[in-house]
Amino acid sequence: MSPRQSFLAIGLIVAAAMLAAMLGLLVGAKTLSAETALRVLLAPDGKLESVLVWTLRLPRSLAAAAGGAGLAVSGYLLQTLTRNPLADPGITGVTSGAVAPIVCCFVYLPWLSPAYYPFIGLAGGVLAASVTFCVSRGGQGRPLQLALGGVSVSLFLSAITTYVLLLTGPQSASLLFWLAGGFQGRSWSHVLYMLPWTIAGVAGALLLRRVIGMFMLSDHAAAGMGLQLGLWKPLVLILAVIPVAGVAPVAGPVAFVGLAAPHIARLLKPRGTGWEIGLSASLGALIVTVADVFARSIAIPRELPVGIITAMLGGPIFIYLVQRGRLSLAGETR
Amino acid sequence: MSAPASTSAGSASLGMAVALGVFAILSLAAAVFLGVADIPVADVAAVLTGGGSAEARLIIFDIRLPRIATGILAGIHFSLAGYLLQTITRNPLADPSLMGVSQGATLSVTIFLLLTVYIFKPGSNTLAELPVAWLPAAGLAGGLLAGGVIYLLAFRLGLSALRITLCGVAVGAVLHAVAIGLIAGWGSARIEIILEWLSGSLYARSWDHALFLLPFTIAGLTMLPVIYRPLMLLQFDAAVARSFGLGYRRQFSIVLIVSCALAASAVGAVGPIVFVGLIVPHLARFLAGRNFRLSLALTIVLGAVVVALGDLIGRLLGHAEEIPIGVVTAVFGVPLLLALLRKTM
Repeated sequence: MSPRQSFLAIGLIVAAAMLAAMLGLLVGAKTLSAETALRVLLAPDGKLESVLVWTLRLPRSLAAAAGGAGLAVSGYLLQTLTRNPLADPGITGVTSGAVAPIVCCFVYLPWLSPAYYPFIGLAGGVLAASVTFCVSRGGQGRPLQLALGGVSVSLFLSAITTYVLLLTGPQSASLLFWLAGGFQGRSWSHVLYMLPWTIAGVAGALLLRRVIGMFMLSDHAAAGMGLQLGLWKPLVLILAVIPVAGVAPVAGPVAFVGLAAPHIARLLKPRGTGWEIGLSASLGALIVTVADVFARSIAIPRELPVGIITAMLGGPIFIYLVQRGRLSLAGETR
Repeated sequence: MSAPASTSAGSASLGMAVALGVFAILSLAAAVFLGVADIPVADVAAVLTGGGSAEARLIIFDIRLPRIATGILAGIHFSLAGYLLQTITRNPLADPSLMGVSQGATLSVTIFLLLTVYIFKPGSNTLAELPVAWLPAAGLAGGLLAGGVIYLLAFRLGLSALRITLCGVAVGAVLHAVAIGLIAGWGSARIEIILEWLSGSLYARSWDHALFLLPFTIAGLTMLPVIYRPLMLLQFDAAVARSFGLGYRRQFSIVLIVSCALAASAVGAVGPIVFVGLIVPHLARFLAGRNFRLSLALTIVLGAVVVALGDLIGRLLGHAEEIPIGVVTAVFGVPLLLALLRKTM
């Protein structure tokens, strides 16, 4: 796709995400008519419908969109960094690395302000990813090695998380819902809390697009072009964890979005790393917004966690990728 | 598969067998004699020979022994399942918890628990009041289903170890997400029961659990002589195996079913105890060298010992809030797995 087409595509995807978010304003435990929703959206009047739209459904849709965009960019960066098409914050252990210490802080250090959670998540995510990468030789070993390394790191962390939950007793119900990944009851404060991290991740990726583009070459070629791998590899890894650190305290682990969005973006064949990042981010936002609307409307009056929906969508994509032998980044063949 | 220099048969393996036997007996004895309740050694001995106080008898016969028995059986199930999976997929990293079998069983047990709590016994809040006897069967259904998915993928993917494992990982992740979601959405007051089981625990396991695992153990072990020869050939790739006159697809399926049945029934009884199926076969092969028969036998013995010993460690370390065996095996298993990953690939 030419840059103009890419721009158009991003616009269309964002529009679709907004449409989904609008649809999300209508559905839920109480269904609103489009007319009512639009009326209270433009002129909030403090009545039930208005509160429903402004304090419950709108921030929630925004949180979903921002979270999706962040996860997608994180997945894009991890896939590029490792030249491994199966990389994603979930598979590489980044998500559980962020989630496990947050659970521990929530349980053992209840006085700690949640404002610190993203930093704790960042540290945990970077640490877990580092372990995974060390095991798989900088992530550039075989795809299997990275995936299995990450999965075992995740299994390890989730065993500990389950144990901590087990000891918490009554609180475990709410923690568990958070662990399933979702946006139920997320408010404006959550959106504001998450936004800086998402923006930092997306903007950082766009700013560093030239460097990131070079990672797609082999290490030799990148070094030959003057890229200091020893400096940029850890930096890009941290950049990849930043949006996850923002999403994890708010929504818990939302699986497979970081895997699927960049692949769909690459299928559209945009020209240039910047466009790929933009397309991934907007697709991620669209996927999670749609998944969130589904999660609210499938089992009214109950809610399903978004994590289930994205896992059920993303799992088959993962299997498809493996089946088709797309074990290298799109465009290359092995 | 990494096979170290082969141990010559005869005296060396006999010595090792004796050493291991002593180790096994010592660990199992430790599991009986040690525990959170401090019972003097003499009293335990008295209980075992038919005497002892009523309280000591209760602790030994109704608490420690049944959980050790359940642990032994579950350990055999997991390690044997891992051994079989590793052999047929020719993948040193195969394990019920990495290939989605455990997660399949977990999901079906979760559904079963939620259904029973909601439909049959709305009031009950403890595991004891639930029809635990049916849990292994429930686990079996889900584990076999996950095994079926692996089977279908395996043949579509031409039995490539890499791809089968990756698909197993994905299937496992999806099933796990669904299970957690169901618990979060519908678990309400029963979350703690399900969590306790989900972390892989031998806590409060009774003779019933051991008794319900036993038929599966016996069935699995009696299948061993039947699948022994095909198993040896399944180590090689399909062409080699076929040249020995093996019905590759059929034998692959049989071994897969046995393996899934073992893992899934154990998950039903004690929850997913991760990494036992991965680590124990490696340990066994390391000790047995190229001796296939010996490594199979060691897998069975060591599986039992590892779980019983791991449970003892969890009981002693956690004290009143004991650490579930699943956490213990994860903590010990992951460093080993990561080391293996570096070494084997």
